[in-house]
Amino acid sequence: MTLLRFETSTTARTSLALCLLTLTIMAPGGAQAQGKPIRIGVPTAMQLQVGRDTQDALKMAIDDINAKGGVLGRKLEMVVADETENPETGISAIKKLTADEKVDVLIGGYTSGVTLAQLPHISAAKTIYLNVGSASPATNAKVKTDYDNYKYIFRVGPLNAAHQARQMTGFISGFVKGDLGLSKVAIVGENAKWVQDLVPLLKKGATEAGADIRATEFFDAQTSDFSPLFSKVKESGAQYMVVILSHASSDIFAKQWYDSQFPLAYGGIDVKSMDGDFCDRIGSKSVGEMAANFAVRAPLTPKTIPFFDEFKKVTGRSPVYTAFGANDAAYIYAEAVKRAGSTDADKVIKELEKTSHVGIPGTIEFDENHDVKPGTPTYKGPALLFAQWREGCKREVVFPKELRTADFVYPSWIKK
Amino acid sequence: MVEILIVGAVSSAIYAMLAVGFTLIFGVARVLNLAHGSFYALGAYGAYFFTSTLKMPLALGALLSVALVAAFGIGVERVLIRPMRKSQLAVLMISLAVALVIEQALFLTFGSEYRNVPAFVDTKFRIGHVDIGGARLLALGVSVVLIGALWLFIQKTRVGSAILAISQDPVAAQYMGIPSDRIFAVVMGLSAALAAAAGILAGPFLTVQPTMWLLPIVKAFAIVVVGGLGSIPGSILAALMLGYAETIVGYTVSTSWTEIVSVLATLLMLVIRPAGIFGRRAAF
Repeated sequence: MTLLRFETSTTARTSLALCLLTLTIMAPGGAQAQGKPIRIGVPTAMQLQVGRDTQDALKMAIDDINAKGGVLGRKLEMVVADETENPETGISAIKKLTADEKVDVLIGGYTSGVTLAQLPHISAAKTIYLNVGSASPATNAKVKTDYDNYKYIFRVGPLNAAHQARQMTGFISGFVKGDLGLSKVAIVGENAKWVQDLVPLLKKGATEAGADIRATEFFDAQTSDFSPLFSKVKESGAQYMVVILSHASSDIFAKQWYDSQFPLAYGGIDVKSMDGDFCDRIGSKSVGEMAANFAVRAPLTPKTIPFFDEFKKVTGRSPVYTAFGANDAAYIYAEAVKRAGSTDADKVIKELEKTSHVGIPGTIEFDENHDVKPGTPTYKGPALLFAQWREGCKREVVFPKELRTADFVYPSWIKK
Repeated sequence: MVEILIVGAVSSAIYAMLAVGFTLIFGVARVLNLAHGSFYALGAYGAYFFTSTLKMPLALGALLSVALVAAFGIGVERVLIRPMRKSQLAVLMISLAVALVIEQALFLTFGSEYRNVPAFVDTKFRIGHVDIGGARLLALGVSVVLIGALWLFIQKTRVGSAILAISQDPVAAQYMGIPSDRIFAVVMGLSAALAAAAGILAGPFLTVQPTMWLLPIVKAFAIVVVGGLGSIPGSILAALMLGYAETIVGYTVSTSWTEIVSVLATLLMLVIRPAGIFGRRAAF
């Protein structure tokens, strides 16, 4: 009886081993990807397009890396946690991913307030965090001043608010003042951490560039009626309205601007207007708006157009900026792990610091705060591109000049 | 100045539509319905769904949406609120639960992005030197007509008399043979329909997303506390006061400060005159 049981057990084990061997051979990457998978935790706002794009773009990169044999013979896999736009939920997401799921790296983020609240928990978990969504410089400020505790924090994208302010200054001086010949400008922004960081720098830079800042208006992200705000901007004598919007209701802003046929054109950073379906979902009422994008379907690097096309093929949507960051972050991390020969955080951090990766919006390199370096005339890093919504909800790049695909056109009710 | 008058009137009209329904169901059935803002949200989402997904004409989609929300309101009253009406706390909790369930259902069905409810009128009008969207003027006009119609309905019809009778003395009304349960259902339907109409009219120029129920319920609450819980004239007056106060603060101070006005008004009124301007007794 005992012998029989032994024999059965041996047969079962042999069969199991054979099955496993077959599965391993059949799996993408073949026999190389045999070790324990490298787990990527994805804290993101899952209900928003920024969150959906983070997941989809990351999955594209993971599938590609796994198909090529994984990293150090290990496959990559991802675990997602919804951080919403609420700091407390954001902290829970980090705890779930680091303590329960025991991920090797975190790739995600969207709201700066949430990222800032998560930082101590990321640091305590000693887990590398590649931010692909939030823009406040404060998220990376402690890397330099308290390196031992905050060396885990990197930003692959977007450009931080200070860099964005400099590029927005270029937009005001080069486009608003230069191309349109308008010097009186109103700045309108939502009450959020990254905007509070950005606006003083933008005001200073724009004033130095010769612009006359007639009004600076902040409003609550919950604001649903912009009539008073528009009225103040109009009364200020401004000729162009620069906006800084991310969490606010950009949709209502554009609709009310169009419905009241507000006499000033507007443009700037409008995160929701980066969505490929923004114009369609508000009934074409953003036609005429200029919105900054971190990448558009243009030959910025050899990866830009293929990524746009592949992403659209896979998801049926145009990607937003978190998609570029998430996709690049997966490759950047995989390359660093390969160079380090391990997933040990300290060793990988040293390799991440040496990163020079040709990504989707440009070459990704990190500064001393582990923050992505912006593009300059001599360095092809990520930069802001200003695209205008046009009839039929198409987008044309208008600024900077070297990437221009069409000239600016005023909204139909504004006579120039 | 003209701009403040017009924008304030539009805000007040939307608020009045919300608050009148909210106060009506309280005045008649003593139901403090926290799901009232959800009827507003469902109205807007209904119009969005019928026009964008099912490609119906806007007028038909809007009417259908109002009718369905009214039916839903009657259903909520019949199935969830009526068995618990004896306890105001239980009603409060169940209506809050309904609101949260609706929010999550909208979230799962439509996602968290803002949705576009098409406007009946897309043209701009110029009054004095002020440019104002046609959708806003329409919201103002329709709300005046609907509230007027509701007033006539209550004053001139038999059902209206029954509503008044129950609101004045529910026990006596019952002894007179008025079927109170049926009247409660009618009032809940009317209240839900008014909120849905407000959502459809405000949808084209205000927020349409799953959490859109919260702000209207806060406003409706503030208005009925200020106007007097259960008093329709009080609600209309308080809606005008709040609409204009917010608009004036938005224009003269900052739009960041507008949301505090309603909360402050509620607090002050509860301290100074708990019964509200026209209330017969303290609400709480």
